[in-house]
Amino acid sequence: MANLNTKHRQNNTYDAIVIGSGMSGGWAAKELTEKGLKTLILERGREVKHIKDYPTTNKYPWEFEHRGQIPAEVQKENPIVSRCYAFREDAQHFFVKDQEHPYVQEQPFDWIRGYQTGGKSLLWARHVQRWSDFDFEGPARDGFAVDWPIRYKDLAPWYSYVEKFVGVSGNKDGLPHLPDGEFLPPMELSAVEHYFKSFVSKKYKGRDVIIARCAHITGNEEYYAKQGRTLCQHRVLCQRGCPFGGYFSSNSATLPWAMNTGNLTLQHHAVVHSIIYDEKKEKAVGVKVIDAQSKEETEFYADLIFLNASALNTNLILLNSISNRFPEGLGNDNGLLGKYIAFHNYRAGVSGQYEGLLEYTTEGRRPTSAYIPRFRNLMKQETDFLRGYAAGFSGSRGIERDLSDVGENLEKGILNPKYGVWGVGSHMMGETIPKEESQVGLDPKQTDEWGIPLLKVNVGYDDNDEKMVKDYIEQVSEMFEAAGFTNIRTRDDHRAPGLDIHEMGGVRMGKDPKTSLLNKWNQLHAVPNVYVTDGACMTSTGTQNPSITYMALAARAVDHAIRERGK
Amino acid sequence: MNRRRALQQLAMVTGGLVLIPSCDFSKEEALKAYQNLGITEADKQVLTSVVNVILPGKNLKGAEEISLQDFVLVMANDCMEEKEQKSFVKGLKELDNYTKKQFGKVFTDMDAPTGADAFRAILAADTATEKTTENIRHFLGTTKKFAIQGYMTSEYFLTEISPYELVPGGFKGKVNIEETEIIKTNG
Ligand SMILES: Cc1cc2nc3c(=O)[nH]c(=O)nc-3n(C[C@H](O)[C@H](O)[C@H](O)COP(=O)(O)OP(=O)(O)OC[C@H]3O[C@@H](n4cnc5c(N)ncnc54)[C@H](O)[C@@H]3O)c2cc1C
Repeated sequence: MANLNTKHRQNNTYDAIVIGSGMSGGWAAKELTEKGLKTLILERGREVKHIKDYPTTNKYPWEFEHRGQIPAEVQKENPIVSRCYAFREDAQHFFVKDQEHPYVQEQPFDWIRGYQTGGKSLLWARHVQRWSDFDFEGPARDGFAVDWPIRYKDLAPWYSYVEKFVGVSGNKDGLPHLPDGEFLPPMELSAVEHYFKSFVSKKYKGRDVIIARCAHITGNEEYYAKQGRTLCQHRVLCQRGCPFGGYFSSNSATLPWAMNTGNLTLQHHAVVHSIIYDEKKEKAVGVKVIDAQSKEETEFYADLIFLNASALNTNLILLNSISNRFPEGLGNDNGLLGKYIAFHNYRAGVSGQYEGLLEYTTEGRRPTSAYIPRFRNLMKQETDFLRGYAAGFSGSRGIERDLSDVGENLEKGILNPKYGVWGVGSHMMGETIPKEESQVGLDPKQTDEWGIPLLKVNVGYDDNDEKMVKDYIEQVSEMFEAAGFTNIRTRDDHRAPGLDIHEMGGVRMGKDPKTSLLNKWNQLHAVPNVYVTDGACMTSTGTQNPSITYMALAARAVDHAIRERGK
Repeated sequence: MNRRRALQQLAMVTGGLVLIPSCDFSKEEALKAYQNLGITEADKQVLTSVVNVILPGKNLKGAEEISLQDFVLVMANDCMEEKEQKSFVKGLKELDNYTKKQFGKVFTDMDAPTGADAFRAILAADTATEKTTENIRHFLGTTKKFAIQGYMTSEYFLTEISPYELVPGGFKGKVNIEETEIIKTNG
C-alpha cells in the first residue's frame, strides 16, 4: 500500500502546476516548459484544439440557422451570458451557460466565463494597451488601495517580450501615458477617425485619438510561421477561433508552443478544488482536483504552483484552500483575500453622425477600432472624481436602402444601396476604485456539482463612478459637437459590473504583507511557491484592457521562479 | 436541432414539395417543425403568399424560390417572445378572412400587385384607432422584417447579388467613392 502511494505520488508529480489554460495560464506554461520544467496544466473545461475545434469558423452567414441570433428560449435560460455582445450563434459554444456554473449575486454582477482550453482568450476583443507609471502610481498619488510594488520600468521589458510573441499591431504614438511597444504595422484609421484625430489634437491639448493596439499579426510573417500562425485576413470572425492564427489566443500560440517542448501535460476536465498546504514543509505541495465528469478526486504535486484560473476563480480556489495554518484561505493572514475587487466601468456611450468627407468610404473589414487614451486627471487632479477613462472610438460610412415599401419597390430598394453619412460612436472604459466592501466570498451553505462552495459576489458602483459616467458623456459629447458631428446621442445603460469582463483584484500585489496578498513577483507573501498572475493580482485597474498586463506579469513571474530555483 | 430533422422528414414525406392538392387544411395537425407557433400547412401557405408579395421576384429571385417562408417561420418560432408569437400567429390566421371581408378576396388568391396594395393598406391604418387589425399588422410587419433579413443574408443574395467575402484580406480607411463602382456592402 505504501508502495502504491509512493508510485501514485511519483506519477502525479511535476516540476510545476499551472491552474487554468487561458490567456495568463498559457503564458505561464509556455515560459515554464521552455525553461525545461515538466509542467502540468489543469484545465476544468473541455479540450478545444486550434482550428480542429472551431466548428463555425468557415461558415457563411446563411449557414447559421438564426443568422447569428440566439433563440429566445436560450436567452431566457441564460440571462447573464446573453448580455455579452459576443454571445451569438457563432461563438455560443465557447461561453459558460448560466445554469452550468451558478454563483451568488449579492449585487448584480454579470460574470462572463469561458471554460475550455484557452479560456476566454478565444473570445476576447484583442485590444492590448500598455500601462504606464500614470497607472502604477495612481493609488499612491491619489490615496486609494495600496501602492503598487512595481513600476513601469519593471514591466516594460516583459511587455516587449510578450508583445513580440503575441503579435501586436499598433502605431508608435509617442504618448507617455500609453507607452509604445514592439509593434507590427498599424491598421488604418477610417477617414472620419483620421479627421477626428487631427481635430482633437489641434483643439484639445493632451487629448489624442489613435488606432488601438491589437493582438493581430500584420507583419513579420516568417517569425510567426514558426508558431504556425500567419497574417490577419480581416475576416472579423475572431470569436469563432481563427484558422489563420491571425489573432493571439492560447490555443493558437502559447499552448502549442509549450506542447512542442515535450514538457507539457495538459489535462482537461480537471476542476481544481484547492491547493494543498503542508504544515511541516511550510509550503504548498500540490493541488486537489475533482474530475469534472466522474467527480473522482485526485491529487497532483509540484513545488511550484501558478494560479491562473481567471480573477474570480483564482479568489475562489484560494478561499477554498483551508488548512490549520490558513483557516481563512491560503495566504490570507490579513483577512484581505477576496477584497478590493474592481472592474472597468463600461456603462456609457456617445454616438453621432458626420456629414463631411462624403467623397470617401472604407474598404474591407477591420478587427479593431480607434482609441482615446485617458486624458482626465492625468497630469494632475482636475475634477471632483478620482482617475479617468479611456474610450473606444470608431467611424464608418453608413449604407442606406429604402426598404419602406413591399413588392417591386422593395426589391429596387434592396438592389440600390446608397452611401449615407458617416456614423461615429464611442464607449467609455473607466477606472474604478478598489474598495474593501467590493468583495467575493464563499457561500456558507451552497456548493456546486463538484462539492466546491459557490462564489458570492458583492461588487457595485460608487459615487466616483457616477461622476465619471457624467463627465465622460459631457466631454465626449462636447468633443463630438466641436468636431461638427450631428445627431449626437448619449447612453448610460446601467449595465452591471462584470460585463466589462475586466474584473480584477482580491489577491492584490503590494509591498506590505499586512495590506496585500502578493509581493512584487506575484508570490503569495505567506506561501512563496504559489504565484498568482491573472487579474486577481491587480492592485488597481487602470483604464487599459488588462490582458497584456496579465501576460507580461506571468512571464516575468516565471522568470523569477526559475531564478529562485537556480539558487 | 430537432427542427432540421423534422423538416427533412417533412420533405421526405411530401417528396420535397407540398404535393397535397388544394383542399381544406384547417383540420391539419400543427407543423412539428414549428412547435412554438402551432401552425398548420394551410397557415404556412398564407405566410408563403405574404413573403411572395413582399419579394415577388420581379428584379431578383422571388421569396419562395429561396424558401424565405421557412426562414421567417424559424425566426418566428425560435427568436420571438411568447407574447409576440401569439400575436404573430393570430395575425397570420386572421389575414385571409380579413382581406376577404375588406377587399373581397382571400390574401392567398391575390396576385402580387393586388397583394402589395392590400399589404400597404393594412399597414397604413391608424394604429391608435384601428384595433381589429392589430395582430395582422404585427404579423405583416414581423414577416417583412424577417423576410428582408433572410433575403439579404441568403446564399443567393450573398453569392450572386452582393458577394460576401469570407476572407477579405485587408482594410483601407479612406478610398474615393468614384473608384468603387458597386457598393461593396459585405467587405
Ligand atoms: C467578449 C470578450 C472581449 C474581451 N476583450 C478584451 C480585450 O479587448 N482586451 C483585453 O485585454 N481583454 C479582453 N477580454 C478579457 C480577457 O479575455 C481576459 O482578461 C483574459 O482571458 C483573462 O485571462 P485569464 O488567464 O485570467 O482567464 P481565462 O482566459 O478566462 O482562463 C481561465 C481558465 O481557467 C480555467 N479554470 C477556472 N477555474 C478553474 C478551476 N477551478 N480548475 C481548473 N481550471 C479552472 C477556465 O476554464 C479557463 O480556461 C475580453 C473577454 C471577452 C469574453
